[in-house]
Amino acid sequence: MPGFFREAARRVFAQELKDSNLTSRDESDQYAPQYVLTPTGAKVNRIFLVGTLIEKEDIGTDSEYWRGRVSDPTGSFLVYAGQYQPEAAQFLAECELPAFVAVVGKTSTYTTDDGNVLTSIRPESIQQVDELTRNLWVLDTAKQTLERIRAIEAEEDQNSKLAKEHYSTDTGYYREIVKKALESLKERE
Amino acid sequence: MKQIAQSIRDRFLKLGIDVPVEDIESRLDELITKFKVPSNEAQRSVTNYFLKKYSIPKNEFYTRQAEPQLTKIMNISENGQWANLKAKVVQLWENTHESISQVGLLGDETGIIKFTEWKNAELPELEQGESYLFRSVVIGEYNGRFQVQLNKNTSIEKLDEVIEVGGGDFTPAARESELRNISDLSGGQWATVKGKVVQLWENSHESIEQAGLIGDPTGVIKFTNWASSELPDMEEGKNYMLKNVVVNEWGGKIQIQLNRSSSIEELDEDIKVGSSTSTYFGAMVDIQTGSGLIKRCPECKRALVKGACPEHGKVKGEYDLRIKAVLDSGTSTQDILINRELTEELAGLSLDTAIAMAADALDPGVVLDTIKHELVGRYYTVTGHKLDRYILVDSITPKTSLDKEMLDEMLSLNETFTKLEVQ
Repeated sequence: MPGFFREAARRVFAQELKDSNLTSRDESDQYAPQYVLTPTGAKVNRIFLVGTLIEKEDIGTDSEYWRGRVSDPTGSFLVYAGQYQPEAAQFLAECELPAFVAVVGKTSTYTTDDGNVLTSIRPESIQQVDELTRNLWVLDTAKQTLERIRAIEAEEDQNSKLAKEHYSTDTGYYREIVKKALESLKERE
Repeated sequence: MKQIAQSIRDRFLKLGIDVPVEDIESRLDELITKFKVPSNEAQRSVTNYFLKKYSIPKNEFYTRQAEPQLTKIMNISENGQWANLKAKVVQLWENTHESISQVGLLGDETGIIKFTEWKNAELPELEQGESYLFRSVVIGEYNGRFQVQLNKNTSIEKLDEVIEVGGGDFTPAARESELRNISDLSGGQWATVKGKVVQLWENSHESIEQAGLIGDPTGVIKFTNWASSELPDMEEGKNYMLKNVVVNEWGGKIQIQLNRSSSIEELDEDIKVGSSTSTYFGAMVDIQTGSGLIKRCPECKRALVKGACPEHGKVKGEYDLRIKAVLDSGTSTQDILINRELTEELAGLSLDTAIAMAADALDPGVVLDTIKHELVGRYYTVTGHKLDRYILVDSITPKTSLDKEMLDEMLSLNETFTKLEVQ
């Protein structure tokens, strides 16, 4: 279909997403998608993650507005769901903690007064899944992160170059993160 | 205009009357230029004027004219022109309208033209391959092309001689379209295709004999064999040569259609169907609306929207289960379509259970919720035929174990890199 394509859901570990502060958007078009460029060069609009829902809280004042914290081996993601994400909000309201969850959503960023960029996730869907799925995601994300690291080291594409320029990415640090994530899978055997 | 004037003069000369060309021309000019009369009308009017002037009975004039004035098909150039043709019926087509008795192609040594015989012309039936003398046919124009129309004033005389048809024999068997790769097909052409029937679909309409998918090494395409084609049925998994099929585009998709001038030939060879079965691995990130418990039109099997079929209006739908989902690899996405059988298996939910669930909740949405709950977020490998942007799923397997080897490999690979950096 010309003019429309679905954004692929990127695989990024929590630590890497937390380290991200470069956003881009085509300013001339208010409907243009917003992207977050991560230190290893993932250009993220949609994201897919599987982790453990460890906290949830209704922080809404008038209507329900749920905040959930989903952890992976490297850190945690914040997921916000309100009246415009009724299915996800309902899930957060009803589920019991902790639980393995798969989240598909869009990243959104907020810049604090002192210039920090906070990245959170607006879910399109949250489903409870099993541990295997969680482990598969860790392996999947490790693999894709390693591929991006390799691309950064080779300065292969536009996103890699841009990421390296902006973050002066220390690829060793991200290899270490991947290693930590992979080792966590080994321990579970 | 000079030409018309000359031809009028010639016709009168044959009767032994020399009409001054200037007279004819000035009359024609007045009608055509000043009064914007179409030239064929002007020609007739001017001819009639001089017939009257020289007291020649019209009937006599026209019957005398009929014999010698033969038009070659190539020379047909004017809408509304009357003509006499000697031509062969090269092809008879299926009649498409009740007011038409016969339609097809006529040919002579100069060319081929479409003809239409109106029912009210009450003419004897033409036979394909026979040659005829057609008197007083009218040339019509349709969609920018001339055609011959046989009406009440037309007479037909069967000829013993056989009229040679220019450009060879135009019977369907001989006029064979070019053999093409499926991936090269584009709308609005005729083609011949060699392929394997990879899937036959449930017949959705009485005017369709068979529909399904046919594939060759370059791709897979939808085909429709109309009941009116009177062609034999094809079998799934067998290989065929489909000659003279029409390629067209519908809803942005290319498909092929078999009609009466097409032919089917079974082949002995086994055609490898390339890229027909795609495999894709990814996480299911979305299940789209129109999934779950749906109703289909009993006529055409299309999914109903608010109880109505886009083709057949309000109908009593038949329940079905299906899933339209998106798989995502992290770098690309793939739309997939899962049929009832696989949906039942995946969601652990039979159609009857689904109907009962929906009835219980007074909401078919509960079925969709259940399916989402079972599937979204999981990793799957699907294989199936690629059609447009979808994979029509033949098999779908959830990933059931962690690839330990890959894990070890990645760890050691990462280790080497990290060490290198330390050094």
